[in-house]
Amino acid sequence: MNQKELKELIEFLIEKDISEFELERGDVKVRIKRGVDAQPIPVIAPIAAAPAIASISPSVAPPAAATQPMPPAAPEAPKAEAEEELHLVKSPIVGTFYEAPAPGAPPFIKPGDHVQAGQVLCIIEAMKLMNEIESDMTGEIVKILAANGKPVEYGQPLFSIRPKK
Amino acid sequence: MLLRPGAKRQRRMFKKILIANRGEIALRVICACKELGIKTVAVYSDADRNSLHVRFADEAVCIGPPRSAESYLNIPAVISAAEITGVDAIHPGYGLLSENANFAEVCETSHIKFIGPPPDVIRLMGEKEKARMAMKQANVPILPGSEGVIANADEAREWAKEIGYPVIVKASAGGGGRGMRVIRKEEELENFFNSAQQEAAAAFGNGNLYMEKFIERPRHIEFQVLGDNYGKVISLGERECSIQRRHQKLLEESPSTQVSEELRQQIGKKLSECLSQIGYVNAGTVEFLMDEDRSLHFIEMNTRIQVEHPVTELVTGIDLVKAQILLAAGGKMVEIIPRLDRKGQRGHAIECRINAEHPEKFTPSAGKIKTFHTPGGLGIRVDTAAYAEGVIPPYYDSLIAKLISHGKDRSEAIMRMRRALEMFIVEGIHTTIPLHRRILADPDFQAGNFDTKYMERFLARLQEERRQEVPVGA
Repeated sequence: MNQKELKELIEFLIEKDISEFELERGDVKVRIKRGVDAQPIPVIAPIAAAPAIASISPSVAPPAAATQPMPPAAPEAPKAEAEEELHLVKSPIVGTFYEAPAPGAPPFIKPGDHVQAGQVLCIIEAMKLMNEIESDMTGEIVKILAANGKPVEYGQPLFSIRPKK
Repeated sequence: MLLRPGAKRQRRMFKKILIANRGEIALRVICACKELGIKTVAVYSDADRNSLHVRFADEAVCIGPPRSAESYLNIPAVISAAEITGVDAIHPGYGLLSENANFAEVCETSHIKFIGPPPDVIRLMGEKEKARMAMKQANVPILPGSEGVIANADEAREWAKEIGYPVIVKASAGGGGRGMRVIRKEEELENFFNSAQQEAAAAFGNGNLYMEKFIERPRHIEFQVLGDNYGKVISLGERECSIQRRHQKLLEESPSTQVSEELRQQIGKKLSECLSQIGYVNAGTVEFLMDEDRSLHFIEMNTRIQVEHPVTELVTGIDLVKAQILLAAGGKMVEIIPRLDRKGQRGHAIECRINAEHPEKFTPSAGKIKTFHTPGGLGIRVDTAAYAEGVIPPYYDSLIAKLISHGKDRSEAIMRMRRALEMFIVEGIHTTIPLHRRILADPDFQAGNFDTKYMERFLARLQEERRQEVPVGA
C-alpha cells in the first residue's frame, strides 16, 4: 500500500465515520484507530476471499448503512458483520487482572479455547483477595482484552467470546 | 493518633489522594489538591462517566453501576481503586462514606490515610446519645434530656415528667428526622415512643432512643472546628442554618445575628478543650439548637467537612479543605493557621443550596441542562460540578450548585446574593433558584426574624398566594 492509497483509505474512514479499521494484505498490516467514542465493537470474521482480511468497526449504528464494498475487501463484509456479534465479558469489580491462577502457572484460558458459562477465566485481585471471574457465556474465546498484572476497572472488557449457538 | 514516646514525628505531604465522592465536593477536593501539588484519583459510577470530577482528576477509575450502594458506598471497590492507583490518602468528602467508621478502619488497615478523625471518634459521635454524654461531661451545654438509652415507654414517661413537656424522642443511631417524635402530652407518649422505636430499628438497624427537651421555635447554630494530631483544636466560629425544609438545609450564613462575640468565644473555648480531650482530629461541625433565650444546647456533631463550609471560608479566609489535607499529613495547627490569621470573622457570608428540584413542588428534576450561566463579580462564589449539556442523573442527591455571597456586612451579602441569583441561568431542568429569590426578598429573612419553622410558614403563605391567584368563576 502506498501513501496515496493510505491517504484515500483514511479519508474514506472519516467520511463513513468508521472508528477502527484493520487490514492485512500479504505481509502488510494496517491498523487505524480514530479518536471517536467506541461502541462495543463487533469484530468481523475473516472473509473467505483471501489474501485480504478486513475488519471494520463502525462507530454509529446501523452498521449496514456505514459500509460500502471497498477494494480489495469482499462485499460480504457488511453481511458477515451483522451476523457476527461477539460477547464481551466485562469486569464486575475493580482490581488487578491475572490470566493465571499463580505466577508461572499456565493461563486459565487462551484464544481459541471453548468455555462454558460458569467456567473460571481469570483472577482479579482486590484488597488482597483473589476473585475468580467466571464466564457469563458459553462459546469460543476470541481475544484477551486485558493485560496480565495490570489494573482493571468496573465494566472494563476482559474477554471477547463468540457465543455458541 | 498516638505516637510512642521518643518516636520521630514523620511529616510527609501526600503524593496522591483518592476522592471517595462525586459532584461538587469531589471537584472541591480536587481543587485543593491541585493547589497543593498533589495528584488526584477520581472514582465514578457508570452514571457519572462524563462528570467534571472525572474530567479534572489526574486519574479516574470506574467502580460500579449507577446505584450508590454498588459504587460510591461500595467499600471494597473504593479501596481496590485506591490500591491499583497507589494513593497515600483518601478524602471522603461529605455524605457517602465520610462518617463510616468501618471505612475509616479499612483505610487504616490498608495503609491508606483517611482524611478525617480516627475511627473510634467517628463512632463516638455517631452514637448520638454517647456524644451527648461526652459533651455533658465536658461542661458543654446540652438540652435537658435522658441519660443513656430509654428501655421502654414507662421509663420514657418518667423522663418526660422530669424534663417537662414538650419532649422529643430521637434515634441514637441516626438522624434526618427518622425515629423522631415530638410528644406534647403524657397521653400521646406510649404510642409515639413505640412507633419511633420501630422506625429507628427499620432505618438504622438499632431502635435505641433517647429523649430531649423540645424547643418549639429553635434556631440551628453550628460551630466549625479543626484539630491537629497533637491535641490542638480550634473553633472557627459559627454558621446559622435555620432555613430548612424537612430537616434539609436550604440556606446558611455566618455570622449568626443572634450570637454575640462573647457567646462565640465562650462556646469556642469549651469546644476546644472538650474536643481536644476526646482526641478530635481534622474538620468537624458541632451542632446546637438555640432557644428563645439565646442559650445554646448541643445536639450532635458531624465528623466531616460540611456542604456549607464555604460560608466559613469566606468569613475567615481559611481554606478548610486544604487545612484538612495538611492536618491529615501531620501538620501542626500553628503552622497551618498561624495565630495572625485567626483575626476572627470578617464581613458576612450567605450560601444558597441550588437543587435540581421544582421550586414549589420540590419534585426532583433530573435531565440534561441546556443552558448554564453562573454569576460572578466581587463577593460571589459558585461551587458546582454542573455544566451546559451536562446530565443530572436521577441516582444521587439533587444539589447541583452552591451559590455563596460575601459582603462587608449582612446587608451587602444579601444584596450581592439577590443580584447573583437573578443572573444565575439554568435551563433544561427545574431549580430552586426562584425559591431562593423569594426568600432573600422576604422582609422576615432580611430582618433576621426566623427559626427552623420559618420555611413551613413561608411555604404555607406561598400556597395561600397560589390559591388566591385562581380567578373567580374560572
